[in-house]
Amino acid sequence: MKIDKTQELLNLASELRWQVGEGFHDTLIEGIYADAADIAQKVEIKQGSVPKFSFERQLDQILTSKRFGFPIMILVLSIILWLTIQGANYPSGLLSTLFLEIIYPFLKSLSSQVGLPWWMDGFLLDGVYLALGWVISVMLPPMAIFFPLFTLLEDFGYLPRVAFNLDSAFKRSGAHGKQALTMSMGWGCNAAGVIATRIIDSPRERLIAIITNNFSLCNGRWPTQILIATIFIGALVPDHFSTLLSTLAVILVALLGVGFTFLSSWMLSRTVLKGEVSTFALELPPYRPPRIWSTLYTSLIDRTLIVLWRAMVFAAPAGAVIWLISNIPIGDQSMANQTIDWMDGFGLFFGLNGVILLAYMVAIPANEIVIPTILMLTVAHLDLLGVGVGDGVMFELDSAAQTGEILRAGGWTLLTGINLMLFSLLHNPCSTTIFTIYQETKSWKWTTIASVMPIVFGFIVTFIVAQLWGLFA
Amino acid sequence: MTLSFIFLNSTLKAILLAILGLPNPTFYMSLFLMLLAASYLLVKNRISLQFIWNPTAAKKSLIEDVLKQLYHVELSQRTTDLKMLSGALDVPLKRTVRVIESMHKQNLITSEDAHLALTNDGRSYALKIIRIHRLWEKYLSERTGFDKSLWHDLAEAKEHQLTAAQANELYESLGRPRFDPHGDPIPTELGEIIEIISTPLASLGVNTIAKIVHIEDEPKSIYRQIIKKKLHIGSHIKIIATNNLKIIFESEGQIFEFSTVVASNINALALNEQDIYEQNKIRLSALNVGETATITGISSECRGANRRRLLDLGFIKGTPLEMEYAGPNQNPRAYKIRNTLIALRNDQADLILIEKK
Repeated sequence: MKIDKTQELLNLASELRWQVGEGFHDTLIEGIYADAADIAQKVEIKQGSVPKFSFERQLDQILTSKRFGFPIMILVLSIILWLTIQGANYPSGLLSTLFLEIIYPFLKSLSSQVGLPWWMDGFLLDGVYLALGWVISVMLPPMAIFFPLFTLLEDFGYLPRVAFNLDSAFKRSGAHGKQALTMSMGWGCNAAGVIATRIIDSPRERLIAIITNNFSLCNGRWPTQILIATIFIGALVPDHFSTLLSTLAVILVALLGVGFTFLSSWMLSRTVLKGEVSTFALELPPYRPPRIWSTLYTSLIDRTLIVLWRAMVFAAPAGAVIWLISNIPIGDQSMANQTIDWMDGFGLFFGLNGVILLAYMVAIPANEIVIPTILMLTVAHLDLLGVGVGDGVMFELDSAAQTGEILRAGGWTLLTGINLMLFSLLHNPCSTTIFTIYQETKSWKWTTIASVMPIVFGFIVTFIVAQLWGLFA
Repeated sequence: MTLSFIFLNSTLKAILLAILGLPNPTFYMSLFLMLLAASYLLVKNRISLQFIWNPTAAKKSLIEDVLKQLYHVELSQRTTDLKMLSGALDVPLKRTVRVIESMHKQNLITSEDAHLALTNDGRSYALKIIRIHRLWEKYLSERTGFDKSLWHDLAEAKEHQLTAAQANELYESLGRPRFDPHGDPIPTELGEIIEIISTPLASLGVNTIAKIVHIEDEPKSIYRQIIKKKLHIGSHIKIIATNNLKIIFESEGQIFEFSTVVASNINALALNEQDIYEQNKIRLSALNVGETATITGISSECRGANRRRLLDLGFIKGTPLEMEYAGPNQNPRAYKIRNTLIALRNDQADLILIEKK
């Protein structure tokens, strides 16, 4: 009897489920939300009233207007980048003097006094220590300038307006307006840019921002670009135009990176990522005076030091590897020279050479040590006398002209220069960034895609340039 | 220490010599590219290759497609024969005949004269497949970001792969839905299903007030056309004019015009007098700078994470808001709601209904 009644009730309920239709869950939930809002309204105490026409609205009108919005944005970003690149020179020089010219010789003499075997001395000092010193002196100053400036803008409330202005452009490639911010952050450091994607709350757009961040030319690559542009492109025109032309070339490469960001965002959102959940909402917080000291503190601790620590962890073994491959002989040649000879033909196919490819393979931990590695490998490979410090010891020269001489002696042409600039933009992220991508996504799949996609682009682009060059030149 | 170093050295030497003995990497590169191209072609033509690597699964899929097709034919009170079936499924006649024969043996279908019909077993099998198809569409709409024009094809593939037990798990995890995102009923586990008493839009009279309950997702070209016009399930409409060629109606403050062919793929339910037609209900995207309004609801087309996000931000029935300013390209636009400025894209604002003050 009882069971019959229960079954009857259940049947009735099931019957009624058809009639209440699809949206009753939603109606129910919206009812709960509305009640909650109602109660909150009743118990909320308001003091004073909000003025209708405030200073904030007027500022918003200017910062998001069609006429002034974009020029202001470009101006602000250019100033930050310029301050970073110019401002980092001096402290970088100081740090480099300290690490490479004061502490390094001291450690060297110490090790000879203690009587360390030559290979241990080379491995630890010429390998591990030099790589660490290099990474810190090149990486720390730009980050310590860029991140606080960026965080100040964020704190003031300007950055959400940039995202607001640029959203329609990013929407077209399936991305989020806030990707403009993570992309700019990537110009400082890709690993920090990847961490910054946490501000994007939509899963699909966040993955897009993570995977494409590597197309932002980072601090470790700006010096490479500037050096190579000065040597190979600046040399094309009379001296007083050379700075202008090489600057333009570097800007062009950075813009090409932006282009690739859009292109690959578009491709990703239509292929591998089309099934990821996508939502949009952008809060435009009120403007407020930035809290300078706390900003400095948090940006130094959260962004700069964490990233620097990760870079150091990865740079130390890389230094060791660089020293080892240059000092372990196979047959009558070092491992490095053997590999260079082996890859040379392949590299020339892409307008590059074996030295560049090997340098990018061993310098995965940090883009900062690519140029020193290339110089060291070139000198060791050519067996140039009187230049460099020894096998496996990275070095840099004081003037671009001297560097140019070594590179040209290594068989570099204008094409090699151009393709190195392109390859420096389009290659796998540094291992710090790869590790950070894994930390943020917890997925080997996305980490692999983010690492492999740029290098595929790189080979395609350099191949096309090399072949066209071969046709026309 | 030195000894182990020499040992390491000689091992590395052996490994490297083994590699160096091989030809230039250019060779590997071209090999890699060829493999890449081959695997791309394989993935692209997976369906046609299924016959080679898994003939049983391919046959099962075909049987299930035939059952589904026969069920739909039966529902629309038409009849079909072998030729029409082979045409509708885009399968060669020879293969259709073979599959029909084996279905006869399994007692899934009967044939009178040349007409094919489902047996009871066949009907309940068909309902099982339809259940999986519609549940998967519901899943795609709620839990993933796939565009709605892709749901049908993805569900078409998935319906042959899920077991009944997996379908039940899905049903539970989705909150036991009864309707798929197109407004079609999902058969229950026991095969219960209701027929919706809705009329095609084309046959509604002038001045009728109705609610859109179903948008057919096949054929795809017509479905894409409807999606493009941004017409939503659950919207109230009022017919303005109708003739043999086209139908004009008003919905959420906008005028829509469809040809009769397209309109016959949209079904509506005439509203009775208890349901009030919200004459003043318009879309948030129609609000101009400086205007204020009250939210009356979020369209049922706004689903899953998107819907929750809007609710979390306070886009709740009865909340007042003001349109503050638009971005340089008029998209997105910033709205002031509960003393917070929130920017929404216009396609989101299309799904929020408001009443102007």
